[in-house]
Amino acid sequence: MGNVVFQGPLERVDTCCWRIPKSYKAGMRVDGLIFADEPMIERIRGDLAPEQVANVACLPGIQGASLAMPDIHWGYGFCIGGVCATDPSEGGVISPGGVGYDINCGVRLVRSTLTEADVRPRLPALVDELFKQIPTGVGRTGKYHFEPHELRELMIDGPRRLAERDLVTERDVEFTEAHGRLDGADPSMVSKRAYERGHAQCGTLGAGNHFLEVQVVDHVVDAEAAAAFGLAEGNVCILIHSGSRGLGYQVCDDALRALRNAPANHGISLPDRQLVCAPATSVEGRHYLGAMRAAANFAWCNRQLLMWQTREVFEEVFGRPWTELGLELVYDVAHNIAKFEEHTINGVRKHVWVHRKGATRAFPPGHVEIPQAYRHMGQPVFVPGDMGRASWVLAGQQGSMEKTFGTTCHGAGRAMSRTAAAKDAQDRHIAGELAARGIIVRAGSRRGLAEEQSAAYKDVDHVVDVVHHAGLSKKVARLRPIGVIKG
Amino acid sequence: MVETFEHTADLGLRVCAASLDELFAEAGRGLFSFVVENAGEIQPRITQFINLKADTLDDLFFDWLSELLYRFDAQQLVLCRFDVQVSGLSLVAKVAGEPVDRARHRFLREVKSITYHGLVIRQSGQHWEAEVIVDI
Repeated sequence: MGNVVFQGPLERVDTCCWRIPKSYKAGMRVDGLIFADEPMIERIRGDLAPEQVANVACLPGIQGASLAMPDIHWGYGFCIGGVCATDPSEGGVISPGGVGYDINCGVRLVRSTLTEADVRPRLPALVDELFKQIPTGVGRTGKYHFEPHELRELMIDGPRRLAERDLVTERDVEFTEAHGRLDGADPSMVSKRAYERGHAQCGTLGAGNHFLEVQVVDHVVDAEAAAAFGLAEGNVCILIHSGSRGLGYQVCDDALRALRNAPANHGISLPDRQLVCAPATSVEGRHYLGAMRAAANFAWCNRQLLMWQTREVFEEVFGRPWTELGLELVYDVAHNIAKFEEHTINGVRKHVWVHRKGATRAFPPGHVEIPQAYRHMGQPVFVPGDMGRASWVLAGQQGSMEKTFGTTCHGAGRAMSRTAAAKDAQDRHIAGELAARGIIVRAGSRRGLAEEQSAAYKDVDHVVDVVHHAGLSKKVARLRPIGVIKG
Repeated sequence: MVETFEHTADLGLRVCAASLDELFAEAGRGLFSFVVENAGEIQPRITQFINLKADTLDDLFFDWLSELLYRFDAQQLVLCRFDVQVSGLSLVAKVAGEPVDRARHRFLREVKSITYHGLVIRQSGQHWEAEVIVDI
């Protein structure tokens, strides 16, 4: 299946953008646009992700263009790295496949005042302790217990509710996208099964590509923005990547099932059934939105609790309160989500449902949704690379509002399938290789580590170059891993 | 017969069996082999029954694997025996396994969900075959 090549047209718009014209296939309402440079585009042709960009262009109410970021790869219905905005006043739909299984999967960056020299001597103990204290891996449950009514409150209000247990600060809430709370969350739309799968998983990392990394600010590209974000070259920070765990997966699963017949019921013809959708204003659409927003708020609670446990481990290892170690949240961004936002489309202000599936919001300087302290710089964006190379801090730029509904990339994207990566690592000791380069890794399974090895991912520097040159977001700082925990 | 095939970020399961009943059972075994490295060592100590109905055979197959995943994730149960009877668009199954024991079960990867992407279930000559991709 992975060998199918995209045969359709990819017309060059400029050095960073390629068009699939809406004449390519019947049903396309708008063009498809893929942000990539010349070397990337040949690889992108290598699977059917561009076909998925064209399929999304068929969705009712789609505005502007069906978009894909340079970390595009084949997903379910929507490609990963896909962005689409739909206008409910024009019959615009909401599609669970445009959000993904891991609702509000995202990344948060925590800075510290510790330098690499401070951390190096205690790094093995620190990584061991993080791996011991933070539940990591398949089906693991966490140390936090929430009664059903508490879980409902978390789904309605997000991390601010954790203040009752002293597990969040006002500053943490302020520096989380949407303040960690999407309005309109409706926990009554979250199934019993989703509760059962997720209730014990708040504060757990999960497995797959989720991780917690101790990193060093390796190279500052934009000194002014880095200073605004509190990042200094040589300082240690922590990047946390996780989402809504089993709760979110089940909400997506339930929605795909509940919406099976919605397209036919609403007279919508789809080129791929994984694009199942319903008008955002329909009963089915509103049900999904209520559940999706509840799962998104739960995901922000999950990342908050992961950060809190990280603070506790640092306190233990360094023998000082986390506040003295300067372990402050830089920002938290979602990269699998649908949000109702105001955008200018062909000169007209419209409220649209922006689906970001493996894509990150990147609002430009001056936007009211950016915390006051960063507003002049643009919204911080974090782009994880791989455990052996780098991750990036970017800042949203004006081009994102003009071209991508305020969006940029979310990661490196896979270069190898899981089986190919495991085969490649068969006679190697991945943890040993990383240790020789000064990166300490603790992982739940050797096979999992092999599948997630550095070479399995594309070079994140290349992906970031494209969004930088396209004016979607600018480079602020490059982060280098020194400690990694994975499921 | 169960084999794995590649998909960019995820994994596919290809199953072939002499009957539809066996096809569903093999797919169940295949799913747990994705999750548990030493799935062959799971003991059938607890028995459960599953009844499902669907509108299409694709949906029934999808719902069957989703049901098994739910029992693993929500009930912390790993399964090794699958006695399935498919009739028309419904199934009755007796499954057996045991509670997760992290001292004995080595976990490979987290399956987030079963997907419809490229889902195929068909009769080919004397055999049944199916392909399904799971989200990792």
